[in-house]
Amino acid sequence: TLLAGSRLLKGYRGGHVVIRFALGGCTNRPFFRIVAAHSKRARDGKYLEQLGCLDPLPNVYGEKVAGLNLERLRYWLGCGAQLSRPAEKLLGLAGFLPLHPMTVTGAERLRRRRAAPSAPSMGPEKG
Amino acid sequence: MAALGACGSAAVPARLCRVARVLWGWRARRGLGQDARAMGEGRTAKPSFTDEAVQNLLYKMTGLNLQKVFRPVKMELKPPKYKLMTEAQLEEATRKAIEEAKEKLAMPPVLTEREPIDDVLAEDKFLEGTESTKYVFTDLTYSVPHRERFIVVRETNGVLRKATWEERDRMIQIFFPKEGRRVIPPVLFKDENLMAVFQQDRHEDVLNRCIAQFEPDSPDYIRVHHRTYDDIEKHSKYDLLRSTRHFGGMVWYLVNRKQADGLLIDMIQRDLLDDASSLITLYHMLHPECPSAKEAKEGNLQGVDLIKVFAKTESKKEGYIQLALQAYEEAMAASRAS
Repeated sequence: TLLAGSRLLKGYRGGHVVIRFALGGCTNRPFFRIVAAHSKRARDGKYLEQLGCLDPLPNVYGEKVAGLNLERLRYWLGCGAQLSRPAEKLLGLAGFLPLHPMTVTGAERLRRRRAAPSAPSMGPEKG
Repeated sequence: MAALGACGSAAVPARLCRVARVLWGWRARRGLGQDARAMGEGRTAKPSFTDEAVQNLLYKMTGLNLQKVFRPVKMELKPPKYKLMTEAQLEEATRKAIEEAKEKLAMPPVLTEREPIDDVLAEDKFLEGTESTKYVFTDLTYSVPHRERFIVVRETNGVLRKATWEERDRMIQIFFPKEGRRVIPPVLFKDENLMAVFQQDRHEDVLNRCIAQFEPDSPDYIRVHHRTYDDIEKHSKYDLLRSTRHFGGMVWYLVNRKQADGLLIDMIQRDLLDDASSLITLYHMLHPECPSAKEAKEGNLQGVDLIKVFAKTESKKEGYIQLALQAYEEAMAASRAS
């Protein structure tokens, strides 16, 4: 049993707790679990606690359903957990954190890219 | 249609008793504030569904037909168990059965329709066009009551708003499933399908499923209940709901709309004079300014006289009530003579 235990109790050098998405589901059917885990662990490996989920495919009503356990999220953030960028963006969209600057920048870039082909002559002027 | 009875309906009443008690607690806490304000207005404020006097009257009218309350519910087949009991043990068992029946007959709450939620938390117009679908975020904290849970929707135009009641019910059912409830409300509760079920005389099953599916203050719950009561009143099928927990709600609905005449005739025809007089007492409590209420208060009438006064002044089916009373008195005289 000691041999089996040594595989389970992994000791790391460095590493910190992150809150990130773990991918699950089947072929052509992704499903994310929002998870607090060590940063050195595999993406879908053993985690400390599941804090919620996100279904990236829209349902019958055209919504992407996400659940967030805010109380435990606050606990882990209080313990000093880091957030991955997609997790930060999702929490920004939810309103729990302020909007991520890359969300704003991405929106701006998208708008510019959409505007550019429609008016190619005005492209160099816009800069 | 066979799924109507088999939907875990045995487990549903136990859960619903707890739900009803929880909701009752919620209502009672809210109601304290309302009653305090009503006391300030004066004793002439309209009596509500939850008043003790009203509840007593409705409970008396519901009746306690043990055979109907404990009739076989569709469960898994088990061979019957026989017990050998003395007279005293049989009385004890009957008493316990009556207490359990009282719990089963606890009336589901009658509330006013809920106000639609319309609250915007943030407007970020520059996010317009980035996403093609909206996001619904639910707070999964276990210790928060469902009414206070945060459920927000980030729309495609960047607006962050609180979710509507239908979205709330769906999300709560997805993450905290309750037995007997579906995520998407069944097609049964649409008006055209309700008519088909009413023709099969399955009003009680519809109401049980409605209680399991919807919150008591949702417009769907109120609409289904009102349709059921209207259909029962149209075809005079009052006996279907007697001795069930829906009877009180039906009586409250009919008396509020002054359509209690058919029910009165049905009660007299079944020789339930006590129920008839308590029905008229309830009517007077709810409409104290009508002439029959004033006459009854002056004369302090009881029983048959009360019904006669009511028939003369208030009712629209006066002839039928007189006929029913006549038939009842003849039957009483005949039974006394023989």
